[in-house]
Order: sequence, then C-alpha cells, then structure tokens
Amino acid sequence: MSREISTCPLRLRHYPGHLEPEYAYTLGIAGERFFREIKENARIMGAKCKKCGKIYVPPKLYCEECFEKLEEWVDVGTKGTVYTFTISFLDEHGEKLEKPEIYALIKFKGTYGGIVHRLGEVKPENVRIGMKVQAVFKPLTERKGTINDIAYFKPIME
Amino acid sequence: MKDVAVVGVGCVGFRPVTPELSYKELMFEAAMRAYEDAGVNPRKDIDAFITCAEDYWEGFSIFDEFVPDQLGAVLKHLFTVSADGLFGLITAYMLIKTGHFDIVAVEAHSKASDILTYEGIVNFAFDPIFNRPLGGHPYYVAGMEMNRYLCETGTTLEQCAMVAVKNKRNALANPHACYGANITVKDVLCSECQFYPLKKLEISPLSDGCIVTVLASEDVATKLTDKPVWIRGVGWCTETPCLETRDWGRAVYTELAAEMAYKTAGIKNPVKEIDFAEVCDMFAYKELQHLEALKLCRRGEAGNLVEEGVTQRDGELPVNPSGGMLGMGYALEASGLQRVLEAVLQLRGEAGKRQLPEVETGVVQTWRGIPTATGAVVVLSK
Repeated sequence: MSREISTCPLRLRHYPGHLEPEYAYTLGIAGERFFREIKENARIMGAKCKKCGKIYVPPKLYCEECFEKLEEWVDVGTKGTVYTFTISFLDEHGEKLEKPEIYALIKFKGTYGGIVHRLGEVKPENVRIGMKVQAVFKPLTERKGTINDIAYFKPIME
Repeated sequence: MKDVAVVGVGCVGFRPVTPELSYKELMFEAAMRAYEDAGVNPRKDIDAFITCAEDYWEGFSIFDEFVPDQLGAVLKHLFTVSADGLFGLITAYMLIKTGHFDIVAVEAHSKASDILTYEGIVNFAFDPIFNRPLGGHPYYVAGMEMNRYLCETGTTLEQCAMVAVKNKRNALANPHACYGANITVKDVLCSECQFYPLKKLEISPLSDGCIVTVLASEDVATKLTDKPVWIRGVGWCTETPCLETRDWGRAVYTELAAEMAYKTAGIKNPVKEIDFAEVCDMFAYKELQHLEALKLCRRGEAGNLVEEGVTQRDGELPVNPSGGMLGMGYALEASGLQRVLEAVLQLRGEAGKRQLPEVETGVVQTWRGIPTATGAVVVLSK
C-alpha cells in the first residue's frame, strides 16, 4: 500500500494567517426571475434563445452559442432525469460524513443545461443514471430565494 | 517567423511539505537551477519574466507584487498569468514570437502545504448563486464526471484503477515524485470510496514544489544549448464555466486545445507522430479522458490502452512516464510545468532510469482542475 505522509503545516514552524472575504453576489436579471419563481411559485424556469431554440436551465440573459439576448421565459416543470450522480463520503472540510450525500445533475426534457442538486428519499445504492426525479420544495415560509429552496430531488415512478 | 525552444529547466520538489523553505525561497532555488541549466544570467540576459499564480492559492491579494526579487526580475519586465504554468509557457512562446523578446523565463509553484482550507478555496471557485450554496466537498464534481464518462464510454473501474497503479509505479523512478508506490489494482479498488465511483488512491494528493523554465528564440537557443527542445504547437480552450451546460463525458476543452496545437505543429496523425504523452491525471479517469481528447486513441478506447499495457513506460505510447500528478502530486499551478519538465528531460535524453528510447516528439496537456473546463496543450520536439 502507499504510505501515509503528514501534510499538516501546523506541525511546522509557521505564521498563522486568515482571510475573510465577504460578498453580496448580485443575482442579476435572469437569476432574480429564476429564484423568485422558485420561492413564490415553486416553478423552475428556463430561458429560450429565439435564434437556436435552446432553452437554458438555469436561465441566462444570453445564449452561449449564439450570443443572443434571451427574453422568452419557459416553465420547464419540476420533473427531470438524473444525467449523472455521485455519492460523496466527505464533507466540505474533507472530513468523513456520517451519512453520505448524493449529488446529481438533473436534466429537464427539451432543455439545455439542468440543475446540480442533492437527491433524497433514496438509498445511495439505488440511484441510477437515467432515473426519473422530481424537485421537493421547502415549505413556502422557509423559502428564501436560493437554490436550497429546493430541498432535494426525489425519485418518481413514470 | 523564428521558432521557440525550451533551453533551461529548474525544479525543486515535489514533496508533501517543504518545512525548511518559504514560497519565495522555493522559487529562488528553482530559478537558480533553471538559469544554471540554461546558462543565462537573469539580471543581464532575460528579457521578460512570467509567474503563474492565483491569489487564493497564495493567501495574498495581488500576489504578483511579491515575485520579482526571488526570480532575479527586479526592475525588469514581469507579469502574472493567473492560470496553470502551461498557459504561462504559451504566453512566453507568444512573446518571443513577436520578435521583441529573445529570452523569457516562466515560473509556477505550489506551496499547497501552507493552505489550511483547501476545500474551501476550491468551493470558492464554484458559481456563487447556482452551485456554491449546495455546499459539500468540491470533488463531488469529479465523482459525477467520472460516473458519466464510464457510462458513455464503457470504461471499467479496473481500467481507471490501472492508471493509478501505472503512474504511482512510474513515480518510483522519478526523484521529483513523492507519491511513488508499488500497488495493485485491488489496492486501488479497495481504497476508501470518497466520491463514488472515485477511490482515494485515484485522487492526486497535494504537493509542494516549483518549476522555472527558460525559453529562447531560435538563434539564441542554438547558441545557448546543443539540446534545445522546440515548442512546435500550442493550444488552449475554455469550454464553459457552467456545470449545467458542459459536456460531462468528454474533455471538450482538451479536444479543441489539441486541435489548435496540432494545427500549429503541423501534426496530421497524432497516433503516428506523437511518441509519448504527459497529461493531467489529477483523478485517474482524467488520464483516459484526456488521451481520447488528444486523439491518441478513439473515444472509449483509452481504458483498453492502459489495460493492454500500451501506455506503460515500455509500451508503444508511454503516458505519464514521470508518474503524473498521481505520482508527483497535484502542485496547483505548477502541474502543467511538471508535465513540461518531464517532456524536456525525456527529449534531451536526461530522464535517467525512466528514459524512453528514441523519442522525438511529446505532447503535454493540462487541465485547471475542479470546477473548471479549461485546458492547454503543447507539442514539444527534439
């Protein structure tokens, strides 16, 4: 087996430092509409390019391909398909999770892009690429206008 | 137009920690070695300096201000390329191609061991509105990508594990590599599953080190050395920053970068014209995906190449004879120059125990890591 080598700099001579950047990221026109619809109406919206016909999820103000401004909004529904997924056994600090998290890219029929989110109400060993899933929204009073207003996506029969 | 050659390389590392040197001293050591190798005096001979660094890796705002002194570049022409070292090398190539510069030095380093919150910094590279609020370990993106790549190509878990076995074994013969090991496919597959289907031994651990390269125009290069290594083609590409719209099965950024590099190099049939490859294997499956993007095999075939031993050091197409990043460690922005270092040593015939016989042309590729879809490709020849 490979060796375990200490990479802990705190055990070496060092000077401690700390950066604490804080920002208020502007949602922008497309982002605001997207999150407002999620928060107020539990709807997932895309934006359609009138030139190439692609429907972007999440919506953008412009088309990646055509560089056109996107102005047509489309309700893409809350059901989609697992395009790919992973089971993460580590948390955001690299520590082992007690309960592994499932992350997936969910694609919506007839659209371009998708939503990266967590899966819930499913055992990790039962997740498959191509599985049909549906967004589970938090209750209206708990929704704040962020991607976490969707609690997770859960498998559905279809 | 004049050709451009690599005329000097200097390396310190790579190691998991570097307790005795500050980042400045690390850079100074590598620079001294590179200038000695090239036979140049930085204070007199070098026209411009490029450093490749990203403020968040360094823990500095405007890191480039902290660079000139340790490179011999005070009161000289220096700037930062905020990307992997291979982008710096390409920039130096272009500077020399303008005809206004004869000798340019390129530096990239990693003092990753100074970073206490690596995952946090990588998370900070995620889209702040659509992705970052999900939280989690940023490498979940690699697990998702590997899963889709396997699904689309039929590549097996064993074939991915074989990449880790090969590269860690290659690293045993490389004095610049610190993660060399004699392991089996079973060891890899039984190592901790961290981001299904990605295993712990398929993930490049971080490492510290620094590489400086010296590039020169054709007439200067031939005066400085009898072993110039020519930069024949360069290419780079960013697919899209969006996780949602990118291609999860193919490394499109490398396909397009390779197309550009092969075109500038006049390479029509990479399989025939490339003798060896040094590619980004930050995660074992990435080596396979990148080989396909470099057109060194057809899509979905890279797994077979590693299984049949074609990419071994004694195979028909050696890949990562250095040990790759799995063997040398993920050295942040120095990762691309790790690949260049090995290609230069191989083409000069100075790779010691791991020297490949009769190599004329090598291809070097880099990827900017999670969560990017950015890569660069350089073709080097004797």
